[in-house]
Amino acid sequence: MMHGTEIQNEQGDRSLHTPMAAGQRMAGRKADAPLLRLVGIDKSFPGVHALKNVSLDVYAGEVHVILGQNGAGKSTLIKTLYGAYAADRGHIEIEGRRVAVAGPADASALGIAVIFQEFSLVPYLDIAQNIFLGREAAFSRFGLVDFAAMHAAARIILDDLGLDYDTHAYAANLGVAQQQMVEIAKALSQNARVLVMDEPTAAISERESDRLFQTITRLTERRVAIVYISHRMKEVQMLGDRITILRDGAVVTSVLRDQKSQAEMVGAMIGRASGSQLVRTPRTPGEPVLSARDVSTAKLSDISIEILAGEVVGLAGLVGSGRTEVVRALFGADPIAIGEISLLGSRAPTTLDGRVRAGMALLPEDRKQEGLALPLDVRDNATVASLWRSFASGWFSPAKAERDTHGLIAQLGIAAHSTRQSVHTLSGGNQQKVVLAKWLAAGAKLFLLDEPTRGVDVGAKAEIYRLIDQLVDGGAGVVVISSELPELVQLCDRAYVMRDHRIVGHLAGDALTERAILELAVHQ
Amino acid sequence: MSVTTSLQGKSGIGQFLSAIPGAGILLILMLALFTIVNPRFVSQTNLINVGLQTSLLLMIALPMTLIILTEGLDLSAGALVGLSGVIVAEALLAGWGVFAACTATLAVSIAFGALNGVLVAYLALPAFVVTLGTMGLMQGIALVLTNGDPVGGFTPAIEIFYRSQLWFIPLPIAIAAALYAALWLLLYRTRLGNYVIAIGGNKDALRLAGIRANLVHLAVYVLGSAIIGLSAVLLIGRTNSAHPTVGIGMEFEAIAAVVLGGTSFEKGQGWLFGAVLGALAITVLRNGLNILSIDSSLQVVCIGILLILALLIDQARKQFVRRAT
Repeated sequence: MMHGTEIQNEQGDRSLHTPMAAGQRMAGRKADAPLLRLVGIDKSFPGVHALKNVSLDVYAGEVHVILGQNGAGKSTLIKTLYGAYAADRGHIEIEGRRVAVAGPADASALGIAVIFQEFSLVPYLDIAQNIFLGREAAFSRFGLVDFAAMHAAARIILDDLGLDYDTHAYAANLGVAQQQMVEIAKALSQNARVLVMDEPTAAISERESDRLFQTITRLTERRVAIVYISHRMKEVQMLGDRITILRDGAVVTSVLRDQKSQAEMVGAMIGRASGSQLVRTPRTPGEPVLSARDVSTAKLSDISIEILAGEVVGLAGLVGSGRTEVVRALFGADPIAIGEISLLGSRAPTTLDGRVRAGMALLPEDRKQEGLALPLDVRDNATVASLWRSFASGWFSPAKAERDTHGLIAQLGIAAHSTRQSVHTLSGGNQQKVVLAKWLAAGAKLFLLDEPTRGVDVGAKAEIYRLIDQLVDGGAGVVVISSELPELVQLCDRAYVMRDHRIVGHLAGDALTERAILELAVHQ
Repeated sequence: MSVTTSLQGKSGIGQFLSAIPGAGILLILMLALFTIVNPRFVSQTNLINVGLQTSLLLMIALPMTLIILTEGLDLSAGALVGLSGVIVAEALLAGWGVFAACTATLAVSIAFGALNGVLVAYLALPAFVVTLGTMGLMQGIALVLTNGDPVGGFTPAIEIFYRSQLWFIPLPIAIAAALYAALWLLLYRTRLGNYVIAIGGNKDALRLAGIRANLVHLAVYVLGSAIIGLSAVLLIGRTNSAHPTVGIGMEFEAIAAVVLGGTSFEKGQGWLFGAVLGALAITVLRNGLNILSIDSSLQVVCIGILLILALLIDQARKQFVRRAT
């Protein structure tokens, strides 16, 4: 059941790790041998070298934080550990024994449990039934499940974690933090020795986070090893016994808690020497296109931003910091609780279609779901937001739509062999251009671009950058969300930085650097 | 708000009362209304009649509940009732014993259940389309077997069975009650029951728990069809004849009963007793309108209105609860 690949680095590259130091620090914890070792894990996907010779030691009773930017390889690493992906090279050891993890069942049998951000609970089973899902046999007699015994067992596990939840509560009635705790309980009931948590505080409140940290401390006292994926500095420094920083799929460094300062860690995450300046041609912006004042929604607090004609403004921040929610609120896709939005000097229409008519355009993050009608052709997609233009004396005129589409294809350089080519056969970059074409045809004045270059190749990226330049030259205002810091810094005249659903900083001119963004985005 | 109050358990009398679906409220209103308008409604004969009709509907609505809990649907249920009745009748006419005839129809039902189940569970085709297809298939076979004519003149044993009593309870009612008890045990006291709810709620979680989720999913369709097919035996006992088209529309009433009772099409949310409430509501409405001698076409209109009213009540209450918390 090995992955059919050669094994490299049988001894592992130990220079990155400091087992001796760890042994000293955890004196009395008997931490001489790691509980879990990843040795030289390598994994490639078509076009992406996702993990490069990654080695990692995790000791019983420690919290091992894995730190890295979006796309550094954290998720791939977890999935490999969990058996969802097979590594191309390298292997996994538990207590010094080489093990094969060919699937989630293997991982679970070895005592490795992963708590993903998407939970695996069944909404209309209760807490006890969820904890023991698939293991009811232990409580069964004559084919009937002794639910009283199951609830008693669940009670013990919850009490152990200091949770007073009613074991009869449906998972559907639990909050995110509570569901997370039930997941932890589930993992513990399976005697998990290694608990992997993927950004566990991404969707829970501060108070709930504190509770989670208490639970984690309890678990480490019981010698459970925690692999904690995060990019929140405060948590990293509070919880992490050992911190491994990943960048571009490789381990940059693996240190004990106090060996590196926050600034050094941020530097290691970014990689390039800080202060490296990219050439930006300064633009001369005009009148305000959009201004939002003190806008709050269910997911945002006090958002105030202003976008001028002829400038590109970045919305920076980590995934989950509320960037997408901001553009959705501006676009009218999510209701606004309080605050004011004005568009081109007057109050913005309240409805989404009103805002589209007034000149707003959204290029959504998930272009396939929200930006395009994939089975339809280029013409249908490009003209859908301006269909009224294609009418002649009250009737839809295919010839007119055809002419307009030809114009857009030429203007944006869309590589389609015909206006009737269905868009799902286009490359990612060309699909993105079709979404832009849709809004250009509608005469948009403000473009909200959510991760416009995600999943497109380098050449298409450059073209999208060129199109963005074209838009602002034409007097439009452009908002760009991007997780790629170099892209933001290169593209934008200035940027708002978000953290925890609010804007925490504004950077312009020379102050707009990757380092400055990341420091604001992860601070505390 | 403490954690415990925010976690609503599923037990407790207050919980039960607040969980009575719109169908329950409408049922009580209808019972009161029909009793006032025509006291004959509560005569023993009529109540037994309501009980019998409800029982026949439940024979389909109860297994339908399990299928809907898996986020599925069985539109072929009515056609299967028609086909099964025809098979039993033809087998009896051909000189088969009652047991053999029932076994044959059970085998056919299981085969069609397995067909539905394999397509839905293993090939992940939408249940709506799959069962729409098998509905046509079964209806066609039933018509071919009978040339579209009713089949009668077989042994009266089935009718005697239908008309017999267990102690003082009419046998169909007793059978429906036993079926309810059996499915209740299955759903709420066995592993399989948990898995049924898990398939609708989060099939991946079930698979990750090391359970052969597809097999369980398939089993639900097979079990459902087996019960629905056997229920046809009771139905042909009522008139001592089998009509190839008798089941048309029954799937609609069964699905309506399940949904009326508060079971959702999503996420495995629902309860078995809801089907009883829903079936009672539909039967009482039909029966009451009959007593008021309202045209049967109008009755269909009323069932439609009942369904929408019940959904509105549930929706309104959900919003009320949300506002209160």
